[in-house]
Amino acid sequence: MTDTPKYGSSGADQCHKAAPTVDEITDFEILEIAVRELAIERGLFTADDHRRFTEFAESIGPAGGSRLVAKIWTDPAFKARAMQDPVKACLEIGIDWSKPTGFGTPSDYTHLTILENTPTLHHVITCTLCSCYPRPLLGMSPEWYRTTNYRRRLPRWPRQVLAEFGLILPPEVEVRVEDSNQKCRFMVLPVRPEGTENWTEEQLAEIVTRDCMIGVALPRPGRTADVAPVHKARRPVHSSHQEEGAR
Amino acid sequence: MSQKSELDLARVALLEAIRGQGKEWEVLAPCYGVTNPNPPWKTSLTAMCDSLDASGALPTLDRRRAEDELAEVVYNDVPAPESQLLALVHTMLNRGLVAEGELAGRMRTVRSRLEAV
Amino acid sequence: MKSKTIEKSQNNIGVLEEHPLGVQPRFKVGDRVQLRDMPYFFYTRSQMWARGIVGTIAALTYSDLVPEDEAFNVDGRVEQYYIVRFRQKDVWPEYPFENDTIQTESPERWLEPIS
Repeated sequence: MTDTPKYGSSGADQCHKAAPTVDEITDFEILEIAVRELAIERGLFTADDHRRFTEFAESIGPAGGSRLVAKIWTDPAFKARAMQDPVKACLEIGIDWSKPTGFGTPSDYTHLTILENTPTLHHVITCTLCSCYPRPLLGMSPEWYRTTNYRRRLPRWPRQVLAEFGLILPPEVEVRVEDSNQKCRFMVLPVRPEGTENWTEEQLAEIVTRDCMIGVALPRPGRTADVAPVHKARRPVHSSHQEEGAR
Repeated sequence: MSQKSELDLARVALLEAIRGQGKEWEVLAPCYGVTNPNPPWKTSLTAMCDSLDASGALPTLDRRRAEDELAEVVYNDVPAPESQLLALVHTMLNRGLVAEGELAGRMRTVRSRLEAV
Repeated sequence: MKSKTIEKSQNNIGVLEEHPLGVQPRFKVGDRVQLRDMPYFFYTRSQMWARGIVGTIAALTYSDLVPEDEAFNVDGRVEQYYIVRFRQKDVWPEYPFENDTIQTESPERWLEPIS
């Protein structure tokens, strides 16, 4: 998903126009500023801390994860190092989990854990308690990942939820849900797909999207973007011991 | 030890006034032809949540539990990230971390400041 | 406190296993354990779905203080954390797929050995 604004597409003179912006100041924007100023004045946190965490939030994205997976796929020695010490391997590709405090952020910590898929084992990640996510490697979590809908249903009905992402796995494949409830932060290492022999790391990184590293999608040639899940239900299906009808 | 605070689900007048205007980013951005998926204040909001956790003023687990409940019961028709912002402020008001009156006043001041530029 | 790196367990899990010298982990990979069903009065990181279920140690991760929100045993002791694996059919009786599993992290004190 691109963060750059779209340029106008009609006519050559459009190329020299400034990118469109939202020209009004909404109350949401005002509210965020106001509450932040008051919080700092009341000593709830410091302006310095806020600035550091803002810089962190602006610096992260999923490209690091894609490069990590691509390098693991192409470099067996790197893979061995990565499985032994994932955080140190991230440093090799320029991702530093100790930022911005020197010992990580208060929700990402420094215990990246790689979950390796095989043809008969598929991992998928959630945090039922609060939507913890490996932000230094994958950037900000997608909104669906934060919803109670995803977090409550995935542990209970993982195949149903995966189907809503278009991913259906045969029953003999073990679907393994990871509920990241403590300080480990998890990333799925997908199986390298067929049809990518002799690809460069850059080509491979292109098909390793964020959703592939959460576990709701499989990488494959030609698939370079994530799609939104089919059912954006707001009300979670509460787990009960009654028989549940077909979705 | 984290305190279990009773979450007050009663609507907050100030926040109700803000949500009723149809100015959520997912509505506004397409009107202006902007394809950024997030409003410019989202990273600042994220940083605020991290800062509140780091200082201990509002731990993440507490904040997220309140947000889950508020998002389902009070702000269930507000999209992200506005729902996250409203839930955060609602929780901070509940816990006495900020007060509604001073927040309303500060919003007026901030708007005058930004519009004067 | 110095930490000692241990050989990573071969379990499709890549993680730096570490515990400080002097902290002897009680469990090893493959041990059967049960998550204690403890009362809690404050917010806790032990989810309801896992309580009382028997699982297997899948990996040793790091050592750390146990979250302060436990209702008892607030003693400031550093202990080993583990990834514990459960069969979905043991967690949800009506779960329809034989092979599926679910994992979560746990500090040592929440785990009882099962022979």
